[in-house]
Amino acid sequence: MEMKYKIALAGNPNSGKTTLFNCLTGSNLYVGNWPGVTVEKKEGNLRNTKKDITLVDLPGIYSLAPYSMDEIVSRNFLLDERPDLIINIIDASNIERNLYLSTQLMELNCPMVGALNMMDVVKKTGVEIDVGEMEKIFGYPFIEISAQKETGINELIKLVEKTLDIKKLKNFPPIFAPEIMSVFNEFDNLIGNKYPEVLPNYPHLFRAIKLIEKDEEVLLKIYENIDLLQDIDLARKKIEAIAHHDVDSAIADYRYRFITEGITRATKKTKNNAIQFQEKLDKVLMNRYAALPIFFFFMFVIYYVSITLVGEITIGGIEWFINDVLMVAVEMSLGSLGAAGWIIALINDGIITGVGAVLTFIPQLVVLFIFISILEDSGYMARVAFIMDRIFRHFGLSGKSFIPMVVGLGCSVPGIMATRTLENERERKLTAVLTPFISCGAKMPIYVLMASVFFAQYQTVLVFSLYLVSLTVVFGSGFILSKTWFKGADSGYLLEIPPLRLPKLKNTATQVWQRIKEFIVRAGTIIFAASVVLWFLQSYDLSFQMTQTPDESILAMFGKIIAPIFVPLGFGNWIASVALLTGITAKEMIISTMSVLLSGQDGSFTLAISQVFTPVSAYSFVIFILLASPCMAAIATMKKELGNWRDFSFALAYQLGLAYGVAFVIYQVGSRVFV
Amino acid sequence: MFTLKDLRPGQKACVGSIAVEGLMRRKLMDMGVTPGVEIQVNKTAPFGDPIEVRLRGYSLSLRKKDAENILMVQ
Repeated sequence: MEMKYKIALAGNPNSGKTTLFNCLTGSNLYVGNWPGVTVEKKEGNLRNTKKDITLVDLPGIYSLAPYSMDEIVSRNFLLDERPDLIINIIDASNIERNLYLSTQLMELNCPMVGALNMMDVVKKTGVEIDVGEMEKIFGYPFIEISAQKETGINELIKLVEKTLDIKKLKNFPPIFAPEIMSVFNEFDNLIGNKYPEVLPNYPHLFRAIKLIEKDEEVLLKIYENIDLLQDIDLARKKIEAIAHHDVDSAIADYRYRFITEGITRATKKTKNNAIQFQEKLDKVLMNRYAALPIFFFFMFVIYYVSITLVGEITIGGIEWFINDVLMVAVEMSLGSLGAAGWIIALINDGIITGVGAVLTFIPQLVVLFIFISILEDSGYMARVAFIMDRIFRHFGLSGKSFIPMVVGLGCSVPGIMATRTLENERERKLTAVLTPFISCGAKMPIYVLMASVFFAQYQTVLVFSLYLVSLTVVFGSGFILSKTWFKGADSGYLLEIPPLRLPKLKNTATQVWQRIKEFIVRAGTIIFAASVVLWFLQSYDLSFQMTQTPDESILAMFGKIIAPIFVPLGFGNWIASVALLTGITAKEMIISTMSVLLSGQDGSFTLAISQVFTPVSAYSFVIFILLASPCMAAIATMKKELGNWRDFSFALAYQLGLAYGVAFVIYQVGSRVFV
Repeated sequence: MFTLKDLRPGQKACVGSIAVEGLMRRKLMDMGVTPGVEIQVNKTAPFGDPIEVRLRGYSLSLRKKDAENILMVQ
């Protein structure tokens, strides 16, 4: 029988793991240049091999200590699922810190292969690494690769195959001084004899070190065993006596000393080349005075280009195609085939109108996603987190909260998931609750539509004002919630600043395509189906007779029941109410719904909308959409990340309540000021 | 006695000890801030905090209140 292997890809955040995973499996996961892109483990089959090998991409970790949720995911996988082999990916341009994790992986008693990534960058800076020497020092084979340039990949696969074939596991070299090692061994024997029930399946050295370090996760598993805790303290004292340091410093210090000695022997600096351009650019972007203006300038450009510029170029053409070409063609061809009037109406007023309303905005979303992807790939995000930390701290957040929020500009789902990189539970939950207040791409079409109908000359200003409202709400809510519902201490902030990198076209294209694909798939499935259902519900009354005006339809009856809720906000009509309800499935449904519902009326869509809303109620409507709870997918993600019903119900109530309150104030004040 | 917080951009010194307990201490060690390592301060954020430092061939940012707990020696 053919053996099935399961191997893990483990390494530091931002070490190129996901890019390598894509090379090794041929899949197209997205990669960003900020620590913590992979927050869930992902699986794929290794290609170019005759063996049956499943590769698991683990979230990036700096050590096997459990600080944040993604680190716990990685560690638990390595400990509980016992992979057949670990590919330890190392950013060779940052080799010293990256090998720290390797010294811990070496304690897991698992065959290992080291992939020295980013060798193209390393060679440019004039550093050479002796791979044979590395194997001698660290006890496992290494290979030079560049995941981005796709070099060394086949050699890596061959090395994995070869290592899997070796049945007997070689011993890894000792990292600690002999005196320390004997304390560990002594302690391990003690565990084996005196406490055989304590973590029997853990690799011995790992178990001994983690117990002595008083690792929180491990301590939870020994259930306050007082005798064992005393024995641990005894071992700690021994180590402190030998190392003249406390246990934490001693252990970390031995690891780093082992690494520094190792790489001094295995690396050679031939030239002294610094990458100057990046450093100069970094100096400008991060200049004390220019950094913030530059950031806001970037954000304004992004919205100006994607909303106004691209919109002006594309929307008219697409609408012309849908209304004057496609619908006319449908009517002509089906009409000549003798199709019934209701079928033509279903296709034109239901399907094409509903699906088309979403597709119209695809070019703008593509441009928006390109910008966001460049922000992520270049390493600028970590820098903005650095710039913003001071401000965010005043509002109960950390600079790291900024990253989920920028990701949330594209879609709230990955944004909320990115909160996992925050170590502090309080900050993580708070960020997960606040991220949906950052408007996602799917909400943008509604703003653009309303802006073009009611605020023609000030489109960009209007849309930008929405982002200002959302930022105000994020900060205001952070300030209040961090002092009330999510009260507690902050965790401190420690963030690696990756080097600036030129975004790779292939990576940007992959990411933009993945995000857009979701919109297109949804347009072809949920929105297609919902448009059909909506059309029927608004074309027939309760006795299943075709209605003369949609006002008498089933949908209108239903909408009129809930509409009174929205009267104080200025959009207490059944069309807006139904649109908000369907918007729960996906936010772009709001615009599809309105297109379908208003398509039967006389005149153009724009005219129809201007009869349903006034400028003030239109603004109150978009504010409500901006702030009210997100779509189902994002709500489900929020539930998953918050973990319990209590926080989740609070979050939903808070988001809905706040949206209602702000829209209420805007309408009530606005309708008195602008009569 | 001076701390990492006292260094100005461009200045460097070696870590003597870390005067904070708990999670932050272990995180700092994992990130390579161990006794003896040389750290250079790169820059300060626009609002004066956090700071960016360079050690072991990479850049790390941390808040001043944590930098204050890292005791340095020349």
